[in-house]
Amino acid sequence: MSVLKRLAGGAFLTVFLIFSLAPFLWMIAASLKPGDEQLIFGNPWWAASPDWSNYTKLLVSPLFLRWALNTASVLLGTLALSLGASLLAAYALAHRRVPRARLLVVSLFATYLLPSGLLWLPMIKVVQALGVADSPLALVVTYPGLIIPFATWVLWNFFRDLPPDLVEQARLEGAGELRILIQVLVPVALPVLAAVALFGIAITFNDYLYGLAFLSAPDAQTLISEVAHTSVDLNDTGFTFAAILLGVAPIAVFCAFFADTYAKGLGTGVID
Amino acid sequence: MTAVRGRLLTLAMLAPALAFVLGVIAYPLATALWFSLTSVQIGGAGHFVGLANYRFLFGLGTYGDAVRNTVVYTAGSTVLKALLGMLLAFALARPFPGRRLVYAALFLPFIFPADVGAVAWYYLFSNVHGGINYLIQRDVAWLGNGPLAMASLVTVNVWHGTALFTVLSLAALRSVPRHVLDAAITDGARWYQRFLRILLPYLVPGLVLAALLSVLGTFGDFVFVHLITGGGPANSTSIVGTMAFQVALIDGDLGLASAISFSVIPVYLVGLAYLLRLVGRR
Repeated sequence: MSVLKRLAGGAFLTVFLIFSLAPFLWMIAASLKPGDEQLIFGNPWWAASPDWSNYTKLLVSPLFLRWALNTASVLLGTLALSLGASLLAAYALAHRRVPRARLLVVSLFATYLLPSGLLWLPMIKVVQALGVADSPLALVVTYPGLIIPFATWVLWNFFRDLPPDLVEQARLEGAGELRILIQVLVPVALPVLAAVALFGIAITFNDYLYGLAFLSAPDAQTLISEVAHTSVDLNDTGFTFAAILLGVAPIAVFCAFFADTYAKGLGTGVID
Repeated sequence: MTAVRGRLLTLAMLAPALAFVLGVIAYPLATALWFSLTSVQIGGAGHFVGLANYRFLFGLGTYGDAVRNTVVYTAGSTVLKALLGMLLAFALARPFPGRRLVYAALFLPFIFPADVGAVAWYYLFSNVHGGINYLIQRDVAWLGNGPLAMASLVTVNVWHGTALFTVLSLAALRSVPRHVLDAAITDGARWYQRFLRILLPYLVPGLVLAALLSVLGTFGDFVFVHLITGGGPANSTSIVGTMAFQVALIDGDLGLASAISFSVIPVYLVGLAYLLRLVGRR
């Protein structure tokens, strides 16, 4: 019985694994064929004679370099702003006197479930008012709004559960608040910060609507927004997927190894 | 003096987070609500029309279709993801060679850019040299008729989102104390008794959280439907998110589009109430 059950489990895992990875196999095959060959003839799951020209073209393409730079700026800018703002807020809420701190945290937390479909239309005006329309900065100022509410919640829960002596002792020794945060709390919060960063990366990677609504010039795109910028009609399938596989996939694959960290953060306050 | 300085410092520490939430969440939300009560168009200021947009909407056949499609899409995807995700969590619970690699591979679709996944799936479903038809050597129009197109969209949603249920179920399973399970086995509890009486109570919070995130995410989905079917054929997969987008950018009717987006707020509020109850235990 037990052997049978394990066999069934293994078979199920294998089938689902193939389902999960199939689109990536297709993308790799597409990236190893010139132009739109992938959509016209040959085996769409395999490149019998791999053509690496898409990848070599990428390395000298000014547009690819621009998109890669934009992607990196959006990702790093979003994470820096989100983590910085959440750390400060969570520390103040957990270790300083804030009237109705709990209510504030919960109200903040409540906004993290708001569908971005509700916000994008008026947000176009916000982005224009800030003077960042049609620039990757439009995403840097808007994504943190989707990350900070959840990040503050996770960090607040973590800070609150720390022994109070940790902060009190440092205060008695005359350390300033910022120093306590950076030198005492951040080092112990690293796993939690990793979980929050993963949450932020998932938000940034899975957004389509904001990129579509705020960016239109070719120069302003990120590698992610550029793929389906107008529609699914790709100009150059091979080049497009090579750009994604070279510029974005390594980050996604790296993050995929931290699924448990992600789940632990997401389950804060729900799963003990 | 120091008390005032202390309070100012507290405020300064809260300020960046509050600025983001007020500026890019609260303000747009309030504006969207206001839009939905006006006749604002692209390139034209509107005036207050009360609930006229909502009244018009509720009498609109295409809106009724979109709501029905949204419910089918959300319910179908969420039930499948919950079942498959829970089964995967059980299959992954024991150590085996390569487990880390398999776990990462299963999580990858969730963290990979959704629009890239959507484009790839569009070409897998395509009936012109599409990946799936090539495999089965048939000529099926996967996106050609309503029910099949909806099933295709559910497939993509399941591909992308099952990992959420897997990782949260697995985290919940890990919270089951080993000795409780061992005691049940020595007491001769059957597998379904162990599942119902011992595992399920521990699993429920994780599953409910995943279900809430999945329902709200799928209800507000845009990327998969917009890119893969565009709501077609003949509006048969049009959902609330894609309808709002089309009314806003193609018809230019921002008031009506905002009303469409805002009409799902009850779903959000119910989800939120559940979530707050879930975390209220702390």
